[in-house]
Amino acid sequence: MVEETRTDSLSPIEPPPATSRSSLRSLGVIGVLVIVVLVLLSQGLLQSLNYFETVDQALTQRVALGTKVIRLEGVVAPGTIARTNDGASFTITGSGNHRVFVVAQGSPPQLFQANIPVVVVGHFVSSTSLQFDGTQIMVKHSSSYIAAHPSRVKAPNGTSR
Amino acid sequence: MIKFTQRLLGPVTLACLAATFVLGLWVTPEDRTQKNLVRLLYVHPPIAWVALYVSFGTATIASCLYLWKRTRSMNMDRIAHCSMEVSAVFIVLTLITGSIWGRPTWGVWWAWDARLTSTAILGVFALAYLALRRANDDPVVRARRSAVFAILTAINVPIIHFSVVWWKTLHQGASVLTSTGQLNVHGSMLLAMLLGFVGFTLLFFWLLRERYRLEVKRDVASAATLDEALSLRRREGV
Repeated sequence: MVEETRTDSLSPIEPPPATSRSSLRSLGVIGVLVIVVLVLLSQGLLQSLNYFETVDQALTQRVALGTKVIRLEGVVAPGTIARTNDGASFTITGSGNHRVFVVAQGSPPQLFQANIPVVVVGHFVSSTSLQFDGTQIMVKHSSSYIAAHPSRVKAPNGTSR
Repeated sequence: MIKFTQRLLGPVTLACLAATFVLGLWVTPEDRTQKNLVRLLYVHPPIAWVALYVSFGTATIASCLYLWKRTRSMNMDRIAHCSMEVSAVFIVLTLITGSIWGRPTWGVWWAWDARLTSTAILGVFALAYLALRRANDDPVVRARRSAVFAILTAINVPIIHFSVVWWKTLHQGASVLTSTGQLNVHGSMLLAMLLGFVGFTLLFFWLLRERYRLEVKRDVASAATLDEALSLRRREGV
């Protein structure tokens, strides 16, 4: 009976102020989240929502851009690629007849070739020049995937013809 | 019937993924521009599909159902939690496979363009969701806060999807799910890629099922431990 009474009179344990502690921890998580997101945004979207300027846009804003470092996008004109001592030179074209001569340092990416869109990081040599000095070439490939040899058939012995 | 389907989920997932790898590595042709690098097409877009739409989408829907009084239950909270965990894994895999593809094609491991940055932010949101759950001790408060957080952060998913349309990005546009409904992938390459989509989607549901089961067992064990502790205290007469 005594035991029963003791059990019944088991005083409720004072709950710790869990809600306020949880709220503080939640606020901490949100705070860290805001900081990390702001850091990512400052690296990416806030600096350049648009990752590059097209050749047409760059030439339209030619004076305003001056020799500022930009990312310039255009299609590599066929027959213009030449290897230099420390990289490559080539011409990129915009949608109109706009053309920019690029002298880039470093090895071009594996897919670099004529008729492929590229993004070159660099700057115009002067505010009137059409020569662009690049420090990095990036290839902007399309979202179309086409078989290299669609009409190629397999011979009975397994070789391709 | 349901049990039979559940039992089949694992083997069918394995078969789909195996077929994707066989098709992707040996049967499908090289791409005209990317050559053999195109084989990442059968892995990266399906993983991104699961990360962004399937798993994050499941977590968001389950969160909405938890907040809606008529469908509110801890099961919904569990589904949201488990989906978000799987989503976090798939977002990391998306970023890793994207980097592996980006290095030889673009020439860089990473670019701070709108698509990549917004995907990285989604990864941070998924981790923050999991941290937020650990920050709250009360299950009801935890479920409510997590649900609201998941719904708010899901706004980022359409931003990621349309980032390549709204802004100029280094990342290419969509090959499937395009605005015109056009498919930009050729013949057997398309088949391998779609099979990859099915395989990785099934993998998500298999992982979700296993993770959900584990979560239920954990909750049962936790409740049993609490009951045991209370009865022990009663016996001690404290």
